[in-house]
Parts: sequence; structure tokens; C-alpha cells
Amino acid sequence: MTKSFTWLQVDPADWRGKIGQLRNDGFTFFDFLTGVDRENVEGKQMCEVVVHLAKEDLSDSHFLYTHVHNELASITDLMPAAQWHERECAEMFGIQFIGGSASGESTKSLLRHESLSLPPLRKTTVLAARVLTPWPGGAEPQIKEDGRKVGNASRRRQLPPGVPENWLKQ
Amino acid sequence: MAVTRYALTSDPSVSVEVVSASLACCTLEVQAALNSGALIQVPESDAGPSVIVIAGTVTDALVPSVIELIHAHPGSKVMSFGACATSGGPYWDSPPVSKGIDQFVEVAAYVAGCPPRPDAFIQAIQELLSKRVS
Amino acid sequence: MKHSFIALIEDKCTSCMLCVRECPAWCISLDSHTIDVTEEGARRPRKVNVLDSFEIDYSLCMYCGVCIDVCPFDALAWDEHRALVTTNREDMLLGIVELGPSGSS
Ligand code: SF4
Ligand code: SF4
Repeated sequence: MTKSFTWLQVDPADWRGKIGQLRNDGFTFFDFLTGVDRENVEGKQMCEVVVHLAKEDLSDSHFLYTHVHNELASITDLMPAAQWHERECAEMFGIQFIGGSASGESTKSLLRHESLSLPPLRKTTVLAARVLTPWPGGAEPQIKEDGRKVGNASRRRQLPPGVPENWLKQ
Repeated sequence: MAVTRYALTSDPSVSVEVVSASLACCTLEVQAALNSGALIQVPESDAGPSVIVIAGTVTDALVPSVIELIHAHPGSKVMSFGACATSGGPYWDSPPVSKGIDQFVEVAAYVAGCPPRPDAFIQAIQELLSKRVS
Repeated sequence: MKHSFIALIEDKCTSCMLCVRECPAWCISLDSHTIDVTEEGARRPRKVNVLDSFEIDYSLCMYCGVCIDVCPFDALAWDEHRALVTTNREDMLLGIVELGPSGSS
């Protein structure tokens, strides 16, 4: 049972340094590394990368996160277990892990079909089906003289849950 | 690919050959149905119809294999088992998933559900048999 | 409760659109209009939504139960006695009558 969790935001430049330091402090258990598309961090299109490191007896653990555009230094030499996670993050979120096994010539897609050119978990990657399919929830019952409902002319436009607003403008 | 002939326990005189393409989770329900007691395994023979059950998510990358399987069993009826095979289901908005196998093969029976219950599979087999698929 | 079919209890539905908007597969659609109902003793007529059509596209429905969960009026329910097997994909689009709970029709 993990007894304590610490969340820590680090600068991308300190990513490797901080992780190396934690490893030396006994946080040798690499649990996972993943991305979270925060879409908008202080007005910029950013992706968060999170890593979870714990002490081997799970008595203490750290979640480190950082905001990047599309590049971050790889930690696979410090934490070999991060290889698969960085690769997944690279394919799904389009983040290049510099100096890692998921960058450079070995970047053959393992999870993503060649036909998919964009990273599917970034919100800038529009799911055409969600844009082209009319959303049945857009209709709003409204009263007209004849009692029939008409579109949703006057009310604020309803948006389908989970679909970024800017997709629909395109 | 497992090809086995089954008869309805309620009417062992009719039998059907079941070719099950196990592509995702729906296949567990097909297995449950095949072992539920409503169908009994009978010896292989050339007589009687054959049903190819497409159970699970069909990605675009898998489409050629699915077509190949169906062509390898000429005269078979295709059952689209579950929402994925029928329309993409939960993956309806996912770029690499095909939006229904009926875009490229003829489907004889659609079974709704995500997953459909095993009883729905038995019902589909019964309906295909009562139509005397050939 | 068997996870077999989602039935609509028409009388309970108020056309509030919650299920339509929450369905992750976008497979429910409904149409309604509003009428005035005058009740005895009431000062003004009450506006009531009348359901014109309600459809679930069973070729897409992922049986997640979100619609059942969000319906504030319990107008949607699991129906364990039904399974849908069709020969045409178009027949998987079910309307008010076909969606009625088993035993009622
Ligand atoms: S069960 Fe889920 S997918 Fe099916 S109609 Fe309800 S909300 Fe939509
Ligand atoms: S949530 Fe319930 S009451 Fe509202 S429209 Fe859907 S079925 Fe009808």
C-alpha cells in the first residue's frame, strides 16, 4: 500500500535531472509514464507528460508532470521500463522523446496503423465522424404558434459532450 | 479457425457449421452460447448450412483477412454479431475501425448488443436455420 | 438484471433530451412538440411536451446504460426478455412501438 503521494510539477529542462535524483533517493520502481492533452495551458497548446515513480516497498511515491509542446528528453537510460511507455506516448500524443528508443530511426509505429498520420489522443486530431455526423442532441424543443418545435434558433447552441468546440468550427 | 458443426438441442435434425472469427470481446459470448447446452456438437458433414460469425471489432487493417475468410467458405451465411461488427459500435468515431462489415460483405443476420447475450446468438442461429439457409 | 435490450416506457418520457445528449454513440434521436394543458382550477395552462418520435439505432447502441442512468423519469429500462436479431440493418432502428417493454405489447 502506498502511504504517501507527492505531485510535483517540473520544468521540462529539469525532467531528467529530477527523475535521476528521485531514483538515487530510492524511487526505483517505475510505474508508468503517460500523456494528458491539457489543450490549453496559459494560452498555449500543451501536452502534459506524467510519470509515476515509487519506492520499491511502495511506502512513498511521486507523480512528476511537465508541460511540453511536442518534445521531451527521454528517461529510458535512467528507467529502462519507460521504453514502452515513451513509445506509446510518442505514437498516441505525438511527443518526441529525445535520445530515447522511441525516437530516431527506430520510430516504427507499433500501435498506430500507417494510415493514421496524426496522433489520435491529441485534441487537435479531429475525429471526422464526430464532425460529420449530425448530433441528435442539438435539437431544442421550442414552442411556435402551431405548437411544432423548430430548431434551436434563439438558445445558446448545445454542444455534444466531450467534443472540443473548435472541431465544429472547421 | 475453429469450424465445428452444431445442432439445436431442441431439434437435432437440423445442424449448422459454425465458423467463428474471434476478433474481440464479443467472441466470449459466442463461446458461452456454443457451450450453453442449447446447441450440441455433431460430427462433421458436408450437408447443411454454414454460418460465419464475425464477432468483434473489425479494424480497417483486418478487413482483407475477414473478406478472405468469408471467401474461403463459399455459400456461408455471415452473422454480424454485436455493435462493432455491425457499425463500429463504441468505436464508431475511431478512424482505424471499419463502420460495419456490410460495407464489404453480404450479411444474413445482425445481432444487436455490446455484447449481445449468448441467448441472442442462439436466437440468430435458430432464425438462420428456420430460413433454411443454404 | 440481464443486459439484453433497452425499452422505452413512453408514458414516462417527458422529451427532456437528456438521454439523447448523453448517449456516447449518438444513437438516440427524438422529436417532440409542446401543447397547453388546462387543468381545472389552474390559472394558466401548463406546457407539456408530447413525444412525436423516439428512435434508438441498435446497430450502434453500445449497451452502456448511460441513457437509463440519466433519465430522471425512469422512462428507459433494461428489458431482459428481448434480444434483437434482424436480417436488415435498417430494421435495427427502432421507434416508440418497437421499443415498448416486453409484455406491454
Ligand atoms: S445504452 Fe448507451 S449507447 Fe445505447 S442508447 Fe443508451 S446511452 Fe446510447
Ligand atoms: S431522459 Fe428519459 S424522459 Fe428524458 S427524453 Fe430520454 S427517455 Fe425521455
